[in-house]
Amino acid sequence: MRKASFLRKQIDKVKPYFNSNPILHTVFDGLETFLFQPNETTTSKTHIKDGMDLKRTMVHVVIAMALCAAHGTMNIGHQHYASMGMFPGLFDGLLYKLTYGIIQFLPIFTVVHLVGLGIEFLFAASKGHAIEEGFLVSGFLIPLIMPPDIPLWMVAVATAFAVIIAKEAFGGTGMNILNVALTARVFVFFAYPTAISGDEVWIAQDYNIIHQIIGLPQVAFEHFGINKMPDGGWATMMVDGYTGATPLALAAKGGWPAVTEYYSLNDMIMGFIPGSVGEMNKLLIIAGAAFLVFTGIGSWRIMLSMLVGAIVMGILLNVIGGAMGLDQTAFVNVPWYYQLIMGSFFFAMAYMATDPVTAAQTESGKYIYGFLIGVVGMIVRVLNPAYPEGWMLAILLLNVFAPLIDHVIVNRNIKRRLARVG
Amino acid sequence: MLEALNIFIQSAFIENMVLAYFLGMCSFLAVSKTVKTAFGLGLAVIFVLAMTTPINWAIKNFFLNEGALAWINPAWADVDLNFLGLIIYIAVIASFVQLVEMIVERFFPALYTSLGIFLPLITVNCSILGGTLFMITKEYNFWQSIPYGLGSGFGFFLAIVALAAIREKLRYSAVPAPLRGLGIAFIITGLMGIAFMSFMGIKIS
Repeated sequence: MRKASFLRKQIDKVKPYFNSNPILHTVFDGLETFLFQPNETTTSKTHIKDGMDLKRTMVHVVIAMALCAAHGTMNIGHQHYASMGMFPGLFDGLLYKLTYGIIQFLPIFTVVHLVGLGIEFLFAASKGHAIEEGFLVSGFLIPLIMPPDIPLWMVAVATAFAVIIAKEAFGGTGMNILNVALTARVFVFFAYPTAISGDEVWIAQDYNIIHQIIGLPQVAFEHFGINKMPDGGWATMMVDGYTGATPLALAAKGGWPAVTEYYSLNDMIMGFIPGSVGEMNKLLIIAGAAFLVFTGIGSWRIMLSMLVGAIVMGILLNVIGGAMGLDQTAFVNVPWYYQLIMGSFFFAMAYMATDPVTAAQTESGKYIYGFLIGVVGMIVRVLNPAYPEGWMLAILLLNVFAPLIDHVIVNRNIKRRLARVG
Repeated sequence: MLEALNIFIQSAFIENMVLAYFLGMCSFLAVSKTVKTAFGLGLAVIFVLAMTTPINWAIKNFFLNEGALAWINPAWADVDLNFLGLIIYIAVIASFVQLVEMIVERFFPALYTSLGIFLPLITVNCSILGGTLFMITKEYNFWQSIPYGLGSGFGFFLAIVALAAIREKLRYSAVPAPLRGLGIAFIITGLMGIAFMSFMGIKIS
């Protein structure tokens, strides 16, 4: 027998203490199986759900998202300092930007995992199951689609709502109808609309005790050449020529010319614009999507048909806008190829729509599912003045209809086969 | 034509009877266990709504409104029968439901037995009376009331079939015991309502 490693010995040493309590045991078991392959056999009835190793799937998705997350974290800091007129160049003060981003991002990430995993642990313990890995991806996605300044209690409430109502009520991982991460976001969107919409929320403006301890430069620091405000408070004014509005908010007001006034094409593709953390760098997202397709986890059918749906609807809107005689400042007249690089289209396509649990399960159903997301998302984004972006609601809507699409496809196949065989 | 299409889309998606106004919940929740019965009930609701909404429009404008009876006898020009509105609308709806019931019983006996009491109960399905009453408050004319009735029915159809497909899928889920059946159906309805909010706020004129 191989000599047990140091880590193995340490785990075995503390293991008996955790076996006394069912909740503690579930938690311990979940963490232990992360480090070591279990070699125990079940003593009571079996509770295997299926043979697929979920950890592989989940970890691959997390790998695919990691670069987007890293870029988005840096961009939080970049937007923060750029809005104050400091470090305007991309690579100036990179360390400061990254540190600031981490200080904003890490608490949200931690809260999501504490709340989400806590609830998962409780449910797993009460059911006598091992912990399901499903929350790994949701827990990674939720911080990526929240504004950087959002109060942490809102994140906690939204995560709890999504995990309990959208997932555990349906029986846990693999059983949910709606995408868990999107449910968390839609909850914040409808319950606390001011925290997630408007021009200010997408740029972090926090400067609190933590930032001070770590020693991040701030606008009010004298050696950066800007003084404190006359009343002694910190300067929070944005510099001239800077807007916190996302490209989509600008496009809704003044069409494509309004967008290019503030952001270059390069900024939008490389992801140096205000917005959600994850949706930033389109090239990294496409690389992540390619990785998912390559490893066979994300469905290329959904991604492709969603792209086609969005393009078709985008062209159609351009045609309608032209026919109505609207000028370039109308949202419908934003050229369709620019519609794709604004907002979170690629992020939603790569990581949200392809969720294997909530998407259509049949192969031809996936084409319909993706195409309709593209069409509906574009309609909601451009024609619905109530929402700045459409993909969240479009994906949730098609999540609702995915079982119906599958039902129709399956029944059609049965009929065809009967006609062929019978 | 474009106006009719707009009214149809608005009543089916933006102002969905079930998921925006939460009308017609009883049959929505009760008959959505399988897609097949939900499909049948949905078609019945489309038919009844599409027929009764314009007919009720005609009844209101030719018989019930103040002075509407003047075309029969000029002396009745000051008669106002609007207080009879609700009872007459329900009577019209009930007779159409009776018609549907006879057709379904004659031609689709299997569907008839699986729908059971919920087929005659379409009569008191609030979404159908709601269709007539919304049509009156929106002051539609006769040609507008036809796509409105059709669209409202289609919205109900879409919602109930989607819910049924989800509930069929849920048969393989480990829903916690206290939530099984109606409990989880309520939660799904709420989540579907959130998803349908994607259309709310779109203005098409």
